[in-house]
Amino acid sequence: MRQFVTPGEELPNDTKRNEYVMVSNGKAYSNILGFYDSDRKDIVPLEGLWKPRIGDSVIGVVERPTKPGIYNVKLTEFVQGLIITSKFDSGPSFEENDVIEATVANVERKRLAILERPRKLAVGQTIYVKPVRIPRIIGKSETMVSQISRLTGARIIIGRNGIIWLNGGNVALAIEAIKKVEREAHTSGLTEKIKSMLEAEV
Amino acid sequence: MASSLNKPELIVNGKRLDGRDFNELRPLKIEANVLKNAQGSAYLEWGNNRVLAAVYGPKEAMPRHTADPTKGVVKCRYSMAPFSGLGEHGRSGPNRRAIEISKVTKEVFENVIFLNEFPGSEIDVFIEILQSDGGTRAAGITAAAVALANAGIKMKDLVYAVSAGRIGDHVVLDVNMIEDNYSDADMPMAISPKNNEILLLQMDGGLDTKQLKEGMEMVIEAGKVISKVQRDALKAIYESK
Repeated sequence: MRQFVTPGEELPNDTKRNEYVMVSNGKAYSNILGFYDSDRKDIVPLEGLWKPRIGDSVIGVVERPTKPGIYNVKLTEFVQGLIITSKFDSGPSFEENDVIEATVANVERKRLAILERPRKLAVGQTIYVKPVRIPRIIGKSETMVSQISRLTGARIIIGRNGIIWLNGGNVALAIEAIKKVEREAHTSGLTEKIKSMLEAEV
Repeated sequence: MASSLNKPELIVNGKRLDGRDFNELRPLKIEANVLKNAQGSAYLEWGNNRVLAAVYGPKEAMPRHTADPTKGVVKCRYSMAPFSGLGEHGRSGPNRRAIEISKVTKEVFENVIFLNEFPGSEIDVFIEILQSDGGTRAAGITAAAVALANAGIKMKDLVYAVSAGRIGDHVVLDVNMIEDNYSDADMPMAISPKNNEILLLQMDGGLDTKQLKEGMEMVIEAGKVISKVQRDALKAIYESK
């Protein structure tokens, strides 16, 4: 059973404590707009921001370089990425507006993500989605994204910060499918819906 | 203009001018997620008030000196559209009144947003009054709370605001423009419904202790209705699709 919750709404006391649950006077309250899943006893956020975590793979745009070997990467409005190339042997170099994929190695002051293993992405399309929808777009053990990729022939790379890079195949259809997942993330049976939608189009 | 000389009769046959009871709210309607570019938004109709609220951020605080490295800052802009009123509030832009309301609104939301989650950044709250009929600061706060929840910003509670007032010996709820101009007291309050914490209390005119208590009880009772409308507006975003 899924139940809609808003900030300040009281939750059952056995709700899993996570960042979206606040406890005061021994009672649990939601602090975000989301769903309460009574089977998992967990809160699933419907809206929210991406908080960088170590190991997250992200996609960002390189900003104008200020110091040699150090690149600022725009990940979201709130989080800035930083690549320090002198740490790497080969020392890859990037130019302004390059789209890169990287992994978060460390997080400083909640809004500075130190990136490692940066890789320049070739020509492709990037789209923005809400970061809270990313787990749904990936799906359980990547079922959703691999299905979209298989049926449209597009290569898809997903950044946890809400940027998705696509290339090859039927990109327009893949984008349409991803946007549909983003819009209807709160409904169930979505993998089947997307499958029938894509199969009808292809 | 408001003056005791040409004061109209505000209570006729135990009813107020617009036919409401003393503890009756004007009809309230909220729609969330109305603006595409904003992170969160809400449109509110409360009696003849029409309010649009939009939330952007958190993003890097600009200008840089306004940033606080330990917590986020809330920036609020309350503004009345030039066509919003019947003359006397009809000037747009940050006048003395708008600056005051922006400040008190900002302080309401500073108390409910988890600001330590967003160090060095700002959250922008824009409240635009499209049509005004008294109680716009309360309407603005109620709309902005919905917009903030829609933006996915972590908050302790969904705040609501409404005003109480006094006409003669009667304590009334949700005063409109004409009652505001000629009544004996006007008291807007913003409340966090979870534990009924008061986040804003301003007062024009005078109330005695008993009337103040009665007004507060009316506001808290009305808050149940307002909170429900706010929650339903947020719920409706996900039901229509």
